[in-house]
Amino acid sequence: MKVVVCVKQVAALGDEVEFTADGRDVDPDFLEHALNEWDAYSTEAALRIREALGSGEVVAVTVGGGKTEAVLRRCLAMGADRGVRIESPAADPFAIARALASVVERERPELVLCGVQSSDSVQAATGAALAGLLDLPCVAVVTKVDVGGDGRGSAHRELEGGLLDVVDFDLPAVLTIQTGINEPRYATLRAIKQAEQQEIEVLSCPAGEPAYSVRRMFVPVRGEGAEMLSGSPAQIAARIAEIVNERLA
Amino acid sequence: MPRDPKHDILFEPIKIGPKTMKNRFYQIPHCNGYGSEKPFNQAYFRAMKAEGGYGAVCTEYCSISPESDDTHRISARLWDDDDVKNLGLMCDMVHEQGALTAAELWYGGPHAPCMESRAVPRGPSQIPSDFEHLTYCKEMDKDDIRAVQKMYVDAAKRARRAGFDIVYVYGSHSYLPQQFLTPYYNKRTDEYGGSIENRARFWRETIEQVKEAVGDDTAIAVRMSTDMFMGEAGTQLERDCLPFVELVDELVDVWDINVSGISEWGEDATPSRFYPAGRLLPWQAAVKAVSKKPVLGVGRFTNPDMMADAIRAGQLDIIATCRPSIADPFLPMKIDEGRLDDIRECIGCNVCISRWEIGGPPIICTQNATAGEEYRRGWHPEKFTHAENSDNDVLIVGAGPAGMECAMVLGKRGMRRVHLVEAEAELGGGMRWIPQLPGLGEWARVVNYRKIQLDKLKNVEVISGTRLDAKGIAEYGAEIVIVATGSYWATNGLNGCTHDTVPGADAALPYCLTPEQIMDEGKPVPGSRVVIVDNDGYFMGISLAERLALEGKKVTLMTHLGHVAPYMHFTLEAPNQHRKLHKLGIETVTYHQPSRIEEGRLVATHVYDEEGHERSFDADAVVLVTQRRSNEALFRQLKDETGLDALRAEGVEALYRVGDCVAPRLIADAVFDGHRLAREIDSDDPETPLPFKRERHVVSAAV
Repeated sequence: MKVVVCVKQVAALGDEVEFTADGRDVDPDFLEHALNEWDAYSTEAALRIREALGSGEVVAVTVGGGKTEAVLRRCLAMGADRGVRIESPAADPFAIARALASVVERERPELVLCGVQSSDSVQAATGAALAGLLDLPCVAVVTKVDVGGDGRGSAHRELEGGLLDVVDFDLPAVLTIQTGINEPRYATLRAIKQAEQQEIEVLSCPAGEPAYSVRRMFVPVRGEGAEMLSGSPAQIAARIAEIVNERLA
Repeated sequence: MPRDPKHDILFEPIKIGPKTMKNRFYQIPHCNGYGSEKPFNQAYFRAMKAEGGYGAVCTEYCSISPESDDTHRISARLWDDDDVKNLGLMCDMVHEQGALTAAELWYGGPHAPCMESRAVPRGPSQIPSDFEHLTYCKEMDKDDIRAVQKMYVDAAKRARRAGFDIVYVYGSHSYLPQQFLTPYYNKRTDEYGGSIENRARFWRETIEQVKEAVGDDTAIAVRMSTDMFMGEAGTQLERDCLPFVELVDELVDVWDINVSGISEWGEDATPSRFYPAGRLLPWQAAVKAVSKKPVLGVGRFTNPDMMADAIRAGQLDIIATCRPSIADPFLPMKIDEGRLDDIRECIGCNVCISRWEIGGPPIICTQNATAGEEYRRGWHPEKFTHAENSDNDVLIVGAGPAGMECAMVLGKRGMRRVHLVEAEAELGGGMRWIPQLPGLGEWARVVNYRKIQLDKLKNVEVISGTRLDAKGIAEYGAEIVIVATGSYWATNGLNGCTHDTVPGADAALPYCLTPEQIMDEGKPVPGSRVVIVDNDGYFMGISLAERLALEGKKVTLMTHLGHVAPYMHFTLEAPNQHRKLHKLGIETVTYHQPSRIEEGRLVATHVYDEEGHERSFDADAVVLVTQRRSNEALFRQLKDETGLDALRAEGVEALYRVGDCVAPRLIADAVFDGHRLAREIDSDDPETPLPFKRERHVVSAAV
């Protein structure tokens, strides 16, 4: 079974933050980069499907500039077979989904796995948009997945209140994977070194119309009305109790 | 990150007599094993704290005369002009960093054994020392009083010549001036004994004379213990100390306030086992309420909120730290820069103090492996050179204190990739469960600090819950492999007394248990009567005794030694721990070694009984705290079974081990070992420590 895993290099803020001159993005000097947490789980899920079936191929795909290849190499070190980077200025989930769709159409996998969301933009839209563009069934927020060789699969979805939604679906399909579905494996230093030597295919894709654009990025002004409590833990606790009692009265 | 404005108050300058201190961070007098006779180690050690932002840095207690010779313990000395030169180096180096220096002028009276000088100490009354066994003083007549006061004056002048900004007339810890103040030491009937005015006379006159001699340009500090916890006999706050403050406040430029005498000075240098930070604040605030002068004092402060609150609440003017400044000489700078999670907090274990108490060795610290190594090994706590072999990948197996420290330092030295792989889900090795022993919660800071630092290092990856075997290690892909698998408590009673196992001891049996079986594995302790066999002599046996007694067991703590947990005497934990044992009804049996263990009883003999009479102890459970053994199986497999050639074929160029898996020692030693290897990972032979600089006379010509 061929599985395409769509992964993203996410940015995380350090202790301090400054914005670019045009005020529309964070100055890249203040960002640290890593593989999106959800995508480590979806990569692991893909590897386990390949291992359970005893054959198949896991293709990791990302959209972005050359530096984003680091996350593909991470997936390769974990055990993915191939990495594909789509060189594209796409920034919003729909543009990214269009770029990913071109690769999925070419690869024709039985299964496409995305993370539920990315930790930096938190839109939770790319996976569903990709399914929409490809006209494939989409199962979102998956906490357990089983696929056999019969062209069918089943998945558990996490609902509120501890409820579980058990879904059967036809392949091919797009699944968005929730954290905790598995324990992502670590990569040994040898695997990391080997992944560094592996060829990564680079495709390009026009960005197309952006779905939206960022007008301004800023740190919100601190509002009024916050009371900072200081003192010993006992004093602070006493003050909190006072406030609660005042509000309840 | 900028400094949090609520900590601004800690960075306000303050006047101390004729001097101005740039902020409120003051390194209180404390020992380091270097004194005046290892001047380079001394100077580099103190200057590191000035570099780290301290506004004032003190010597340790500084003897004014060969009559106050504390050998075998190491003090500073200002006996002659050569001492002026040697301590002058410290003053110069501290001044270069913009901090003040202070000399704590000390005369020990009956506590000074004078084992090097062979002189006779003088004291208020001829009663042998309660601290240093078999040490007597000469009872002072009026000429003696004038002679000793002149020693203070002469030493103060030497201190000024050396470059000190502040001189102490030091009394705390029951040294001479405080001996005069205290009925426990002062039985005199002349004008130097009896009423508070008379008992204060020696100290007051001495302060006057020192002030007269150097006070125009040198600040005068007085360090006083405000409660000796001895009832009527000891110094008392209301009866003695507050009147004394009012009597001499005009003469004093800064008060340094603490508690306790020397024989129980763990009440002052409080182990975290018994006291939280800030425990001395009530006494310090009481002095501050009556004095017009700045008041400083210790309290094992590591939390800047607590420091700032103490100043705002009018309890202290200046935050003095001793142990926190050893654990992190850069405490002030980190607060200034808002880097609070980089603070290496003191854990209050007092192994630093243990080395002074032992007498002779240099200072060590569990948290700061570089403490005492500033000059002799050239180690800086915050600066790391880029490793010359940084193009190597490192695998460290085992994330206890040694493995974590090694990974952190290798990360900071810029190794390409460091993987720290731990078998358990949680990091810490033995330090996962040791902090769960009664009173040892703050010891968890050893693991927490390193976890935070490792998380910040981009080139370090921590992989927990993963047990590697020799094959997995060989094929892991690292050029450098470091094994840090720790140690375990012997399961068969093997011990350093008989150098043999104990017949019948077997931790596979339900009634024989090791510490980690109880604390980590949850093995139930059967029955109600427990005998703990402690051949170790430090915290483990006695802590388990306390824990099991708190659970309602009837506990007997047996050791072949003459005292239970003798090392806790050096860490100042012994007195209060003995009080606890007593209160909990724990029976202690010393000089006894088990000859066999059977279900329901343990049979022991007195170690000096030549006829070997047996004594039987009822025991539903026996806890074996006999000795530790290195967990070296994995290392031996790699070295002996896999072999270095096979490792080399897999790309492993070097195999080392650190910490308890080399030999089980103090936690401080494990941390040091991990740090040392990482500092020297690019030396010609990293396994062998590089020589350190030794301060000594070298014969340069034939004698």
